[in-house]
Amino acid sequence: MCMRNLIAFFKRFRVFLVFVVLQLFAITTYFSFLNFPRARYLTTASSVSGSILGAKHEVTKHFNLTKNNQNLQKENIRLRNQLPESFHRLQYGTVKINDTLFRQQYEYIPALVINSTVTKRNNYFTLDIGSNQKIKRGMGVFSDKGIVGIVHNVSKNYAVVKSVLTENINVDIMIEPAGFFGLLKWDGRDSRRGSIAGISNDQSIKKWSKVVTRGGSGIFPRGMPVGRIEKLKPVEGKPLWDVVIRFSEDYRALQRVYVIKNLLRKEQENLESEIPADKEE
Amino acid sequence: MNEVIKHIIRFILLVGVQVLVLNQLEIGLGIQIMVYPLFVLLLPFELSVIAVLVLAFAMGIAIDAISNTYGLHASSLVLMAYLRPIIFKMFAPRDGYDNLKEGSSYQMGVRWYIFVYGILLFLHHLWFFTLEIFRMDDFFFILQKVLLSLPLSFLLSTLLQSLFVSKPKER
Repeated sequence: MCMRNLIAFFKRFRVFLVFVVLQLFAITTYFSFLNFPRARYLTTASSVSGSILGAKHEVTKHFNLTKNNQNLQKENIRLRNQLPESFHRLQYGTVKINDTLFRQQYEYIPALVINSTVTKRNNYFTLDIGSNQKIKRGMGVFSDKGIVGIVHNVSKNYAVVKSVLTENINVDIMIEPAGFFGLLKWDGRDSRRGSIAGISNDQSIKKWSKVVTRGGSGIFPRGMPVGRIEKLKPVEGKPLWDVVIRFSEDYRALQRVYVIKNLLRKEQENLESEIPADKEE
Repeated sequence: MNEVIKHIIRFILLVGVQVLVLNQLEIGLGIQIMVYPLFVLLLPFELSVIAVLVLAFAMGIAIDAISNTYGLHASSLVLMAYLRPIIFKMFAPRDGYDNLKEGSSYQMGVRWYIFVYGILLFLHHLWFFTLEIFRMDDFFFILQKVLLSLPLSFLLSTLLQSLFVSKPKER
């Protein structure tokens, strides 16, 4: 009797039940992915959609060619200026020594952005390299002009980057030259502007001062450009500045990026995991 | 042309246009044009609601998988598919729906098309942008996105519809 009632119930509400199941599935995937990438098959890191986007990139990659080439040329000039050939030698007969004062901490892996959006609330970029190129979740990504984001999800040949243009990017940054710390935020409106949270208003900050990464979490090296301060406004009722920054990179025409591999990351994480867990956020 | 093949072609074309062209556009002011709900509108009248729901879900997931939105399009399109029979009933012609026709402006009349598709598209857009932003203090931003995107989506869908749907011959 009870069973029959149950069957009758399902028959009567089956349309609604199918609707609820599908809706729940879609919404949970959406909200769980914003925080942690579980649904691997639903992302551009999967091989099917990755190859579709690869084909699309073949067509559209030339659209910003002039601009991208200019940027690469500028970077080349900057690097060429540091080559030994461009220095005038003042002293001859020096001996080459094995450098024990400096050790390589960051390695850079070049990559191409094959898909990106800038108009959504949370924008993700797809790169054409993946775990075959030793890319891992949590690595930083930057371009020649500024930071881009953090690797969020990796497959064999593709990687999805959680860009600076997402709600909870929270890169720790500082304002030069004074060195005030804050967290980078994005409000979802303008792909050229972001904001900094947590700058208290007893600090005097100049307009157009540079904002760079702090390098605290080991994702980005210290001093990587982010943008410049465009507007300063006191927050009503709180002792804080509302700081609007203008990103130095134009994410609408982003193509060539570098992924940062921090060789000392594990050491820092191990050391910091010994801090007793009582901090918030 | 075979009915099933016709709908499969529409499915592929609309997903293609949405993913490869419209999702790549950056118009500004939070505008995002979405034309794929047209597929759900043009499904046959006699198709069961569950089949419509499953097809809508499949289409949403296909778009989500390629544009990194993880279920956002799927959720909005499933909602629209669920509301479709309710709106259809509200605007039913006097002697019911003719199963040989489909929900285009040519066969159901411009007035029916504007009301039914307009309401469904509005609900779809409202759900989509609300989920995307998901903050009450950004209510006016959501409203701005919906009200600016809706007319463009509607116009472009109507243009695309004239490509997909064959006009009845004048006699």
